[in-house]
Amino acid sequence: MKNFKMAQPQTLDQVTSLLSEKKDQYFLMAGGTDLLDEIKNGIIEPEVVVDLKSIPNLSYIKREKDGVRIGALTSVAELAEDTLIKNDYPCLHEAALSLASPQLRNVGTVGGNLCQRPRCWYYRDPQVECRKKGGSRCFALRGKNKHHAIFGGGVCYIVFPSDLAPALISLDAKIAISTLSGDKTIPLEDFYALPSKNVRKENILEPNEVVKEIKIPLAKKGEKSTYLKLKERGTWDFAVVSAAVKGTVSGGVFKNIKIVLGGVAPIPWRLKKSENFIKGKKATESLMRQAAREALKDAKPLEENGYKKDLVETVVYRAALSLV
Amino acid sequence: MAKKEYSTHIDDSTLLYHEEFRDKKTEEPEVAPSPEEDKFQLIGQYTPRIDGEKIVTGQASYTHDIKLRGMLYGKILRSPHACAEILSMDLSKAQNLAGVEAVIQLKKGQIKYAGEQVAAVAAKNEKIAEKALKLINVEYKIFPFAVTEEKAMAKEAPRIHDRPNVDQFMDYKRGDIELGFKEADVVIEHTYKTAVEIHHPVETHGSVARWNGERLTVWDSTQAIFNVRDGLARYLKIPASRIKVIKNYMGGGFGSKLGLNDYTVAASLLAKKARKPIKIILSRKENSLCVGNRPSSLQTIKGGVKKDGTLTALYLKNYTSGGIGRGDRCSEPLVDLYKCPNVKVEEYSVYTNTGASRPTRAPGFPQGTFAIDGFLDELADEIGMDPLEFRKKNYTTKNRGGTGIPYSSKGLDKCYEIGAEKIGWHRRNKKPGEGNGKMRKGLGMASQIWWGTGRPGTLADIKLHRDGSVEAVCGTQDLGTGTQTYMAVVTAETLGLDPKDITVKIGNTEYPWCGSSGGSTTTPSVAPAIRDAALKAADYLKKQAAKKLKIEPAGIKIENKKFFNKDNPDQSVSFRELLGDFRRERVFHGECSGRPSDYAYNTFGAHFAEVEVDTETGQIKVLKVVAVHDIGRVMNKQTAESQIIGGVTQGVSTALFEGRIMDNTTGNLVNPNLRDYKIATSLDIPEIIPLIVDMVDPHINILGAKGLGEPSRIPPAVAIANAVYNAIGVHVREIPMTPDKVLQTLKRKEVS
Repeated sequence: MKNFKMAQPQTLDQVTSLLSEKKDQYFLMAGGTDLLDEIKNGIIEPEVVVDLKSIPNLSYIKREKDGVRIGALTSVAELAEDTLIKNDYPCLHEAALSLASPQLRNVGTVGGNLCQRPRCWYYRDPQVECRKKGGSRCFALRGKNKHHAIFGGGVCYIVFPSDLAPALISLDAKIAISTLSGDKTIPLEDFYALPSKNVRKENILEPNEVVKEIKIPLAKKGEKSTYLKLKERGTWDFAVVSAAVKGTVSGGVFKNIKIVLGGVAPIPWRLKKSENFIKGKKATESLMRQAAREALKDAKPLEENGYKKDLVETVVYRAALSLV
Repeated sequence: MAKKEYSTHIDDSTLLYHEEFRDKKTEEPEVAPSPEEDKFQLIGQYTPRIDGEKIVTGQASYTHDIKLRGMLYGKILRSPHACAEILSMDLSKAQNLAGVEAVIQLKKGQIKYAGEQVAAVAAKNEKIAEKALKLINVEYKIFPFAVTEEKAMAKEAPRIHDRPNVDQFMDYKRGDIELGFKEADVVIEHTYKTAVEIHHPVETHGSVARWNGERLTVWDSTQAIFNVRDGLARYLKIPASRIKVIKNYMGGGFGSKLGLNDYTVAASLLAKKARKPIKIILSRKENSLCVGNRPSSLQTIKGGVKKDGTLTALYLKNYTSGGIGRGDRCSEPLVDLYKCPNVKVEEYSVYTNTGASRPTRAPGFPQGTFAIDGFLDELADEIGMDPLEFRKKNYTTKNRGGTGIPYSSKGLDKCYEIGAEKIGWHRRNKKPGEGNGKMRKGLGMASQIWWGTGRPGTLADIKLHRDGSVEAVCGTQDLGTGTQTYMAVVTAETLGLDPKDITVKIGNTEYPWCGSSGGSTTTPSVAPAIRDAALKAADYLKKQAAKKLKIEPAGIKIENKKFFNKDNPDQSVSFRELLGDFRRERVFHGECSGRPSDYAYNTFGAHFAEVEVDTETGQIKVLKVVAVHDIGRVMNKQTAESQIIGGVTQGVSTALFEGRIMDNTTGNLVNPNLRDYKIATSLDIPEIIPLIVDMVDPHINILGAKGLGEPSRIPPAVAIANAVYNAIGVHVREIPMTPDKVLQTLKRKEVS
């Protein structure tokens, strides 16, 4: 581990101007549960670690007339314990509770969770120079790939590990980003980008930008949601496959539905084909399964991760049916 | 380097371990014990750990906690390549770094796995030491490698050693296997697979070394202080009499800490060079790479059975990989446990470019039991027999499947009876997989055999002080299993005292000799030696008390810190008063006796598991495990039950999650951490019911006690696999049973 300097800015403006100086060697740290691991394992060698925790007033869950705002530094534990979130956005509550362990949830933040780096074991091996680290190949393609992507791979087969991201995207959340020229707000779904766009990153955040908050629109009347996460062990595990589903059901029929998967692609993976298939039809197990299979036609499993196709079908039908 | 890298040397294999711990005819003088006559007050009851408070309040000092004046921190440079030759090494830049006080080269020539130690530095702090490692310039010539069994077994695979990668080490035959198949009504053949497991004790490996002139003191996180001492003497070429090895508290050891380790030598060499104490603590990654592992196995069993359940033939072929070391002998349960006249075994090591195996809690037995006890369930299903009845049908009281000598005692039948009742065996699916629904429940069971006999010749002292205080001293080590507590219990029982009155001393090579804490030998070695010493002390004290009370020694009864006249309890002298009369302190030497060689000494057990399988996700939930064991007479039920719970916990973990994953492209281990090498969490652990058939072994030793370290670790995985089989009707035949494998297995069912 190389020595690094620690910057403790007091405002987000200070962060963005700091980042504009020497962008590449500056790394943002919120809870640090991921970043410190990367530093200790020699995956990254920051010159400066920018400690966002020194900025006041970035940890909050505020209800406003057009929805809820969640500060980037809100801890995952606070999110999981919030009764408003639990009542209005069950999928977000369930996603927060399903994530890591109580200790990690106490330290990890919402912003950090959305910007975490992949847990691909090739990326995390300091000896391996894969595409994500500037190398010329993806080792997972012909390597050990049971945990890797079945959708959206090609250049790189990581899966995006966040549980909060699929839940928030299903809730039509927006993300507010501080830039040098002021804040910008975009749909969270557009925040993430496939490796084909830039294999070194998982999102569109520029080196001099920082996530400020998440905005979730008011839950509509009758709207329900759930997050179903399959993992290998009981706790402290990333999703093998997960599904966030939000929708309104009337007379056993989904009037609208949104399905976002975790653990299957380099970004949270929206199943638009399944959504369209389900909408307006009588919600049954076989319909849901069929809907999942429609989307799975796009899946391109590797040697060891074909089982994820079965799991996608299961999580989609189980999560969706639980709302009926 | 005078000698080749011993810790990764091919001889350092589990085979030697097997030879060391299996029942051996002993040359020690035999004592004819009569343990059955003894009736005890404390032994076999529930006694809380005498060191429990110290441990849970953080006062117990572990090797990781040791800090000596002027101590430096050592770090080890390891090969990044799985197969290479060291062409040159330049240490000068590292040596010149401020804060670095010693740099040594540890390796020349051939590198055989990624993680092998190459050089070491000692510096004022860990950060400087790490920086110095980066300044060591090693020039490697890189060669092709094979890090997986599949690749190493391929025809064109590079050779790991100067002999074929597939190397037979075991060949056993009895009866006529072909005749056995002919006699059978049903013959089936299946292949079972178990993954390489990593030890992962909570406390990673580590040593502190300090020289004082010609004398060396080493604090080591070890299961074998005397092995470390003697190994260091051999390696450093200094007399064993000048080396002291200390181990106070232990953060777990499952076999990888059974002998001298290469980093302990590195610490000693660095300390010599720097003239200061050195501490080397391995990281979790180093712990994953280079301190040993449980070998994998790929076992094919072909077996025959008559319709009435009589086993006629068992033929096992096993390919087992312990990296550059030998694989595990997995055949023992199959050869020994079930009555079968015709048996054939072939076992092969498959060498790969990965770290050498080390004994791992019951080497070979969890793997072997996974195969044979899984196979038995499939065989039972073929003839429509209850798996438990099938095992009872092939029960034997003689070893080698009924063809050998009698077991000294065998309570497996009782384990079956108690376990079946407790789990509600009648609730199982009569036909595996019968019933409907997405969630399926099932019950399964498995038997266990292991050695666990103890080492004749183990020494222990009881020291009586004039102020009435008592020491129990033995050069053993407590892995966390409760050794100190039963030493106090046995002493207190014999001398009529309270366990709290006894000062227990262990973990120092200056104390009376004791072997390693491995092979479930500690209790049946240490407890009889303590008992022997305490009986001698009691004998002496009775004589003194008799003099004082003016009666015959035979008329003295020891109880409640007093010596009574049996016939007149009003007449007594207190323990303290009697010792106060001594002119000096007295030491009584005890020894673990030999045992008659016409018996086979083994421990037995049976586990019963209940599971629920989600047939759409492949997730297994273990609901309950009933673990019943015959371990002879129990010393302390409290720690014995904890030991069983620990073994089941580890067993559940390996059944569902654990497995080392090697990558043939990079030659690296892809899961060298506790995120990707998954260990069971508290949410994965079922209700565990530990039960002990507390029966005295009439021949084994003066207490009739056997060991318990390993037994409970052996059958959980296969009991769970059999329960899964009972639930879904197809046998997974491979651990860890992760969702991908369970789903794959269910597809086998759809096809058939």
